[in-house]
Amino acid sequence: MTDTHCPYCSLQCGMRLTGGRGRTTVEAWPEFPTNAGGLCRKGWTSVDLLGHRERLTSPLVRDPATGELAPATWPEAIARIADEIARAQGAYGLDAVGVFGGGGLTNEKAYLLGKLARVALRTSAIDYNGRWCMASAATAGQRAFGLDRGLPFPLADIAETDVLFLVGSNLAETMPPATRHLDTLRAAGGQLVVVDPRRTPTADRADLHLQPVPGTDLALAHGIVHVLVAERLVDERFVTDRTTGYDDVRRLVAGFWPEQVERVTGVPADDIRTAARMLGQAAHAMVLTARGAEQHAKGTDTVLAWVNAALAAGQAGRIGSGYGCITGQGNGQGGREHGQKADQLPGYRRIDDPAARAHVAAVWGVEPETLPGPGRSAYEMLAALGDSDGARALLVFGSNPVVSAPNATRIGARLDRLDFLCVADIVMSETAARADVVLPVTQWAEETGTMTNVEGRVILRRKAVDPPPGVRSDLDVIADLATALAAPGEFGRDPETVFDELRQASAGGPADYSGIDYARIDAEQGVFWPCPQPGHPGTPRLFLDRFATPDGRARFHAVEHRAAAEEPCVDYPFHLTTGRVLAQYQSGAQTRRVRALAAAGQAFVELHPVAAQRLAVADGAAMRVTTRRGTTVVPARVSTAIRPDTVFMPFHWVGANLLTNDALDPSSRMPEFKVCAARLEPA
Amino acid sequence: MRPRERLVVVGHGMAAARLVDELVRRAAPYAITVIGDEPDPAYSRVLLSAVLERSHRGADIELRSAGWYADHGVRLVTGQRVLRVDRDRRDVWLADGTRHGYDRLVLATGARPLLPPIHGVVTPDGLHPAVHAFRSMADCRRLDQAASGARRAVVVGGGLLGLQVARALSVRGLDVEIVEVGPALMGRQLGPAGAQALARGVRGLGTEVYTGARAVGFSDSGLRLDNGFVLSADLVVLACGSRPATRLAQRSGLMVRRGVVVDDRLRSVSDDHVYAIGDCAEHRGRVHGFVGPAWDQAVALARTLTGSDRAYDGSRVVARLQATGLELAVLGDPERAVGERVEMANPLRGSYRKVVLRDGVLVAAVLIGDLSRIGVLTQHYDRRTVLGQTEAAWLLHGDASAPADAEVPDDVEVCACAGVSAGRIRSCRDRADVVARTRATTGCGSCSDVVDLLLPTPTSGRPHSGALLATK
Repeated sequence: MTDTHCPYCSLQCGMRLTGGRGRTTVEAWPEFPTNAGGLCRKGWTSVDLLGHRERLTSPLVRDPATGELAPATWPEAIARIADEIARAQGAYGLDAVGVFGGGGLTNEKAYLLGKLARVALRTSAIDYNGRWCMASAATAGQRAFGLDRGLPFPLADIAETDVLFLVGSNLAETMPPATRHLDTLRAAGGQLVVVDPRRTPTADRADLHLQPVPGTDLALAHGIVHVLVAERLVDERFVTDRTTGYDDVRRLVAGFWPEQVERVTGVPADDIRTAARMLGQAAHAMVLTARGAEQHAKGTDTVLAWVNAALAAGQAGRIGSGYGCITGQGNGQGGREHGQKADQLPGYRRIDDPAARAHVAAVWGVEPETLPGPGRSAYEMLAALGDSDGARALLVFGSNPVVSAPNATRIGARLDRLDFLCVADIVMSETAARADVVLPVTQWAEETGTMTNVEGRVILRRKAVDPPPGVRSDLDVIADLATALAAPGEFGRDPETVFDELRQASAGGPADYSGIDYARIDAEQGVFWPCPQPGHPGTPRLFLDRFATPDGRARFHAVEHRAAAEEPCVDYPFHLTTGRVLAQYQSGAQTRRVRALAAAGQAFVELHPVAAQRLAVADGAAMRVTTRRGTTVVPARVSTAIRPDTVFMPFHWVGANLLTNDALDPSSRMPEFKVCAARLEPA
Repeated sequence: MRPRERLVVVGHGMAAARLVDELVRRAAPYAITVIGDEPDPAYSRVLLSAVLERSHRGADIELRSAGWYADHGVRLVTGQRVLRVDRDRRDVWLADGTRHGYDRLVLATGARPLLPPIHGVVTPDGLHPAVHAFRSMADCRRLDQAASGARRAVVVGGGLLGLQVARALSVRGLDVEIVEVGPALMGRQLGPAGAQALARGVRGLGTEVYTGARAVGFSDSGLRLDNGFVLSADLVVLACGSRPATRLAQRSGLMVRRGVVVDDRLRSVSDDHVYAIGDCAEHRGRVHGFVGPAWDQAVALARTLTGSDRAYDGSRVVARLQATGLELAVLGDPERAVGERVEMANPLRGSYRKVVLRDGVLVAAVLIGDLSRIGVLTQHYDRRTVLGQTEAAWLLHGDASAPADAEVPDDVEVCACAGVSAGRIRSCRDRADVVARTRATTGCGSCSDVVDLLLPTPTSGRPHSGALLATK
């Protein structure tokens, strides 16, 4: 019996695995506090991935003569990768090799991947799919509070607040076990406000559901602050004592009176007033954003606008209150802290900070000058593949950008321009199928490693079964590559050894893990960072005394509302938005291969009955959905849950992201997944 | 380096403030001077009635501080009138004798309230002390003060502004009456049925309405109407509409009809160096009086001034009453719009709704008393969405009636977390059996109640029909 954690989302529910390979079963681990024994169907069926018949068990190398992937030995595969790296860097320079990581990789892997890029490849071209997930909230968190950690408090705290705002989060479907905290909250008399263009199962639980047009959450937040100001619900004392920048925001929102905001957002003015009163009159309130608010070309500013609302109401920096972001991927938090992001070094340090470079270079045993500078963000790196200053060879770990990148046709074409593509994955994902070398790697229950969940809690995902023969850990792959490339310094293969190095590298940084070790995680059911020395208790709740800005104050931001990058028009009359469904996860590489989930979750386009009548289609009819970037055919799902001017598609299949817009947020470089203009017609 | 062009904006209302905002945001290469005749910083004029109602304080509606202008290199002159524009020398003369040269001039002078010819309201010193106009912050302060000591007020004018002022004074505790010369409140926008619903709503809030009545004289005994009534009043507010403030443009020899005539670049048809936006501008024969078009024009002009050649092709207007207890929205011009009209009145609820469609596109609408569909209607209107034949009914009616209760079919999913159907729950003995065999209730836990209903009850041994969850 092994206590470990689920392979999927950022909740990282505790689960108990029993039995060996081939007969492993999942049981509840009731003592783990985040989920208290609850699991969703993805968690219960996760063991189907162990010993799955589509599991890759041998490296595959594309035969230049036949164009087919053929089995190869590990030494052959590693040698081929090293040759291709040398060729690309010899011909085009160090940045000709790119590394693309993932928010599902353990902290150890994310750390070692960053080290591989900076020390062995010496390329600036490294980023990861979390850029498409967390980046807007991360950027906003840094600006507003001086520090980015998904939730600044344990998840269970949400049951203790009085009013909870969920902005662009469908918690009940994306992380069902978290919903019990909502139910506890409501049972205790607390209230829930949900902001979502769809009446999701989460919105069904809400005391107030605001249903804005996609891409207008920013204006909605301004409208709420306007009402707080007008109705004297601003916590003047908090604003004076613990924030800066309020006056500019107060004046900015004078132009956002409820009837004006109603025109922009499609949310009735009285609902805006009600929401503001709920926020302003609550003794304790929390404002949590998720991808619905964040995945926009103005995602950072949208988050900052909602932070303004929390700050104006005095709802931050004390127990039971605060702003937080509900992280998406399993290690969405840790994955952005330890160096697989283009502009960062371990410990959430900035790569352009000389002191950070000196510290990390010393841990790695290299000279600071040898470390590359900041590179391109995820989408920009992929969009430049094959260009004179872009990467010619790409190594992909734990990601499936053929399905998950916006404007996917363009990214697919870019991948085809590469001289060399290597993908490490557990199954033949859509991206792996295009690779020149495919490496079969271990998955969650077959390896040990730490993850940092939505709460900033560092947890230990323990190995429960042996991996299939022929499969190696990503850590082995990275270490083998480092050896083949004659990289300086050590590249550990043992997770705990790598973690101990990560602790040193993070020491003194914003995300300081130096006081955390495997034994403590075991004993304490996870440790919250920052934890700057061994005796330190960790930090379950941030900002109680001061915010992490230089002056200790949280910052208001006078951010401007603007239209979405693409608005509906005569040819493309609907807003198209995308999201997750309960039975699937991310690009579906795992969940689409679990039989019980594949049957439950199929692709569809959700539209309102009046829209269906206009198009003369019935539920289940084949619909062609077209945007300026692509087209796909999916069955119609007719539902009153969605706005009549908006349609929704889940993004777990090739299709949705052929349609989405690749307009980027100027600061976070987040693509505008959540809104574009689409045309629908019967197929 | 070539010196930056000088841009002078005459007026400091909502249009001017938005224009400057947009120019600053675009880092437009102009040396900007803004000249306003009000002493106050820019504010949201549309919220003056909210200040009067005291749902907002005066400071809450300030848009920009003087410091903001200074920080962004914009010269702000307040409390100064522009007396004339010398278009040959390209400069403007201020009342204090200073001159400001321009390369481009923007007129954003707004509108002036119309004062009806009522005997006794105008004295040689200006308005009678008990009589008020309502356009500026100064007007608002004066009325706010007067309202504190007053008991009875009469509002002359039953349009949007008149209604808002009447509601504000009523919320302040005054007895308020409205006098409208036309046959109905907002008669030009609403039509008889709509106006009736509105009047009912207004009366229901305790405000008497006199329509088809002209105020002819004001004296200590009150406001005398042409029908012989005399309404006693401590104060009278004139809300009889406004007229574009075009005197400066006229004196400068620019073409003025109702407003300063501009082309699709918002440029005066008489002078390439002069533009006009907001309430003072006349574009394609239309003058507005709403903030929406004024902002559209400000954005369009900022675009033009920063090199875009996109034309301004008019605005879609949504008039939204902002008054406690009264729900009203008018989209476009419902009485004059050409198209098919679909309307629905529910006198019991005091609601009235009408949409006007042309070739499937919503060209106008009225909503009174029930604005539950407004968030969809305005979106369709603004985006010119081509609607289906049955959509008008949906927009007027609301959702179809909820489906009747029925027994939950076996294939309906009860536990979304674990993906368990009602049938599988029914096949279980009890909760423990459910958990062991299906995992239902172990995820979010929210299906627990429903699961209990589907299980055999200990007493009867028969499962409940589960009718209660049929609408989910």
